Amino acid sequence: MATIVRFSCGHNISSAGWAERLAGLSCTVRDVDLYALDAALLGSADALLIGMHMDQRFLQAHTALLDDYVAGGGRIAISGHIAHPFLTGLSPVRPLDGGGIADLTISRVKPHPIWEGVELDDLIFRRGVAGFYGHVWHVPPEDANVIHTLGPSRLPLDFIYRHGRGEVLMHGGNDMWSFGGDDSTRRLLPQLVSWLVEARA
Amino acid sequence: MTVAVLDSGTYYHHEAIFGERFRDRFDRVIYTPALTSADLAEPTLLIVPDRTNPALLRQHQPLLTDYLGRGRTLVVLGECEAETWAPGVRTAGRPTNFWWWLDPTQKPPHQFVAPEHEMFGYIAPESTIWHIHGVLFPPAGAQPLVAVPEDRNGRDPAGVLLYDDRVTTPGRLVVSMLDPFYHHGSRFMPAATRFLDGLLRWAQHAARS
Repeated sequence: MATIVRFSCGHNISSAGWAERLAGLSCTVRDVDLYALDAALLGSADALLIGMHMDQRFLQAHTALLDDYVAGGGRIAISGHIAHPFLTGLSPVRPLDGGGIADLTISRVKPHPIWEGVELDDLIFRRGVAGFYGHVWHVPPEDANVIHTLGPSRLPLDFIYRHGRGEVLMHGGNDMWSFGGDDSTRRLLPQLVSWLVEARA
Repeated sequence: MTVAVLDSGTYYHHEAIFGERFRDRFDRVIYTPALTSADLAEPTLLIVPDRTNPALLRQHQPLLTDYLGRGRTLVVLGECEAETWAPGVRTAGRPTNFWWWLDPTQKPPHQFVAPEHEMFGYIAPESTIWHIHGVLFPPAGAQPLVAVPEDRNGRDPAGVLLYDDRVTTPGRLVVSMLDPFYHHGSRFMPAATRFLDGLLRWAQHAARS
């Protein structure tokens, strides 16, 4: 049974509601206050979810700890914009040149199991409004596997890179595990969790 | 005579506080987990941005209460669970109406009940109109500024989105349910940027007057 740690920052969150959508996956999701982060906690976690509302100043102060965690084989999924890079390979958020539909249109560079069956239109639009999944970009490390890009300039939105024996998924937008209405984005949570735990399964 | 602001280390606090647009509006930035009484000795106005860690604010409650007790001004924005630590604050949640603006038949219900109030010399009333996360019930004697009626056939209570309370404490407590730091700092909602612009210009005026 793999353990995923999902961090929170003062606001109550509960991952209990995910149970039905994660049925069949051999894992548990623990909700943990970010300020409890230490080596012992990381030693008990197979993967981490670091979301958009986290204290990145605190995370940045723990860069060495997080780098070691990934280098040792841990997987981390990050959502949000990066203000204070807290892992090797992360860099500060970049704005788009414009906010039109063309700028916000997502392209899939290559398929990946996390986004299998997830329609691009469901990522781009919600009730006809573009940009909820992502409207900024980040510079990936050179050897990163870029999955999705934004706009005609193909600016990286989702990418995965290796660090030592582990991997980091960077999604530069709203928490990708929070999507899941009545469209194909509902596949994101179980497919993300499946990817997070497969390494040590 | 200064404006101080708490920074909880989120990307949107960073962009709103240190980004080019508003970086000149703050005289002092205090990292929320590290807040001490010494930080609050000098500032005349302290802004608690929306989505500041509510567990930390509850820990800091004695400092913040003392700050108001010394006659200073505290501005508290939305999603901070202010009802658990700020004097006199009562709230009720509402199902967030994210999509009101896509329905041409839906008229924004906001009522500007004190248009002569000094804050509206800086804040355009229409810049307060966006989705509603919940409402406030101001204590007796506080001045409501933006109100909304009950909704969904009476299931959601009427309340207030912004008020100015000069009676509950020796200081001044301005409370809003709106979350402009998050939306401006996420680079996604122009009305939030306009509201934050007005709010911060008023804050500079209020801190110096």
